[in-house]
Amino acid sequence: MALSLPTHCSPTVAPLRRSPKPTLRRVNRRVCVASGGSPLLQVNDLRAKIVESNVEILHGVNLTVNQGEVHAIMGKNGSGKSTFAKVLVGHPDYEVTGGSVVFKGEDLLEMEPEERSLAGLFMSFQSPVEIPGVSNDEFLVMAYNARRKKLGLPELGPLECFSYLMEKLELVNMKPDFLNRNVNEGFSGGERKRNEILQLAVLGADLAILDEIDSGLDVDALRDVANAVHRILTPEKSLLMITHYRRILDLLNPTHVHVMDKGKIARTGDLSIVEAIEADGYETVSALT
Amino acid sequence: MSGTALFPAACSGVIPRRTSKGKASSVSVQSLQAFTSDPYVLELAETLEESLPSTTPLPLPLHNLRHASSQSLLSTRWPSRRDEPFRFTDLSFIRQSRIVPVPHPSPASLTTASPFPRSLRRPPLRPLLPLSPQRLSHLLSQSHPRHDLFWSLNGIAAPDVTLIHVPPNCHVDTPIHLHYTPPHATTTTTSSSASNTMHLSNPRVLVVVEKGAHVEIIEEFSKANDDDENESSYWSNAAFEAVIGEGASLTHSYIQTQSFRAAHIKWTSVRQEASSSYKLTEVSSGGKLGRHNLHIQQLGPDTVTELSTLQLSVADQTQDLHSSLVLDHPRGYSRQLHKCIVTHSQGQAVFDGNIKVNRYAQQTDAGQLTRSLLLEPRATVNVKPNLQIVADDVKCSHGAAISDLEQSQLLYFQARGIDIETARRVLIFAFGGEVIDKFPYSSIREKVRSQIKNLLDPSSDSSSF
Repeated sequence: MALSLPTHCSPTVAPLRRSPKPTLRRVNRRVCVASGGSPLLQVNDLRAKIVESNVEILHGVNLTVNQGEVHAIMGKNGSGKSTFAKVLVGHPDYEVTGGSVVFKGEDLLEMEPEERSLAGLFMSFQSPVEIPGVSNDEFLVMAYNARRKKLGLPELGPLECFSYLMEKLELVNMKPDFLNRNVNEGFSGGERKRNEILQLAVLGADLAILDEIDSGLDVDALRDVANAVHRILTPEKSLLMITHYRRILDLLNPTHVHVMDKGKIARTGDLSIVEAIEADGYETVSALT
Repeated sequence: MSGTALFPAACSGVIPRRTSKGKASSVSVQSLQAFTSDPYVLELAETLEESLPSTTPLPLPLHNLRHASSQSLLSTRWPSRRDEPFRFTDLSFIRQSRIVPVPHPSPASLTTASPFPRSLRRPPLRPLLPLSPQRLSHLLSQSHPRHDLFWSLNGIAAPDVTLIHVPPNCHVDTPIHLHYTPPHATTTTTSSSASNTMHLSNPRVLVVVEKGAHVEIIEEFSKANDDDENESSYWSNAAFEAVIGEGASLTHSYIQTQSFRAAHIKWTSVRQEASSSYKLTEVSSGGKLGRHNLHIQQLGPDTVTELSTLQLSVADQTQDLHSSLVLDHPRGYSRQLHKCIVTHSQGQAVFDGNIKVNRYAQQTDAGQLTRSLLLEPRATVNVKPNLQIVADDVKCSHGAAISDLEQSQLLYFQARGIDIETARRVLIFAFGGEVIDKFPYSSIREKVRSQIKNLLDPSSDSSSF
């Protein structure tokens, strides 16, 4: 299967930082690979407004993500984290008013949302929409075939995709009947999040943006999701997660942590920023520039 | 299985199918004219009566039906846009045509799975009890509450009645498939196929489901097989009546895919006795005009009524559903889902859905929802969902939504690499799929799915065209 991704990370050396929670850290070996990566995403002075109300939300975001890096964006409610993610995937509610985004050497802002996806950018939606009348497997097969078509591979029928889908389903620890249900219809919060990760597993990505993938998940579900993300994303792939909580950061071990404030990235550092945030709050940390 | 009788003629099993003939001798046009103000209706009635082959004696039920219908026509005008039930529905193209009645009903072919025809050929173990002419007459000739022109026209012009009688406690586990093909099919070569000629057929079906019985009926109105250009013009004026006895159930599937130049006017009138169940699933996509008049009258408590309709207007056509559900007894349960998709700037859909919860219909649970997708500028939908509630202890809901596709759903597809045209196609189809999924048989579901897919996206597969 041309698009299937390795299900295990290749063993490399130990992570650079010491971790308070070593459980998953042992399998997370992407860190050293990251150090020499080439730029994957370069965001320069990105400004964007809400189309309907003309309110500017992003006031000049700068961010570079290299191949193999794991980034986390934190920040208080309303600071523009999710807007940033949505602008990157081409959400029609937002209009870019300035700045540039280069993804794999190409101008991302010139691409339609589906072209961005096919180019290797994936975003998990914070609240994925229900799509009554379209079953999960139908949707996954359609998306998977769109990708195959892009790669010049023949499209596959639902039966031919079945074993591939089953393998990915196992990865996110879901039962097969999950495929027969309509996309996100009547899903619990946890099921929706797992479904987003299932899509990531099926489609693969060079850069996966996980927008609050951890909110509403219990401890076990969060571990499942983090494990799946580990296994989906090989050391060359990059990850950008948006979160409010430390738990997923401990599981996915970001190399860079950014704090967003008032539509800008106010501070960048490593995991130690998280401790400062937990001790002093966003206001203080954002102010320390 | 053995207890089911199926007669092509209303009178009794001894009359061969479609040979019951006769002219309603009691009606003379001269005497009608004194009472009516619409000469066009009289003229049409006369044409229809003359087209019926005359044979005596006319069976009592048919005689009574024709008599009652012609009486009703005396005081019925051809509807205009000023009449509320036809406010959005243009009938002028019928009126401007030369109406040529088809002397026998449109060939309704009957198909069922293997066990059923056997019981037709071979007499069952105990003698069948055909309905008495008096009871049949009573069932057929009850004047309709609305005094509708098309109901009455069918009443005088139906050459015979297909009767489906399910005896008490008989469960027919294979569906009865009534397939109607266009009335012009046998007369295409005559000179009457001039452009303004419409062949008119008036098929009529009476279904009697006795106490505790169960039956599933599929009514399919299709275009002619050779109607490649969708060009033939005809008028199908069908009537379907059902009486569902105590504790009995009827599952009714109705599929309409007639020619885009045809007029398809259809009555479905159902009476539901106590604890009975009626489930209708309709998908209508054919006709220049497709008009379905649906009337359901509750005759006892604890009835279940589920109505699901999908209308599709993909050309210069009108799809019109006028439904009324009258609840007069306690604890009725009803759900109505109406959906329509208009994909043409001159396409139109009309929905007038009335639910009356009368004084004694306490603890009724009635829900009604209509949703419309308008996909082209100037595509039109006129919806009038309405609940009239007199009883005070009821649970009723209704809602209406008219929209284009959801932006957030389209983005979700795009964000996974699916182009917007594919996304739109899938979402439009999924919108209709909710109704299609309610057909009780997978073969019907598949067939209708591919019909609708072809209509929404003719490039996908032209095999059915």
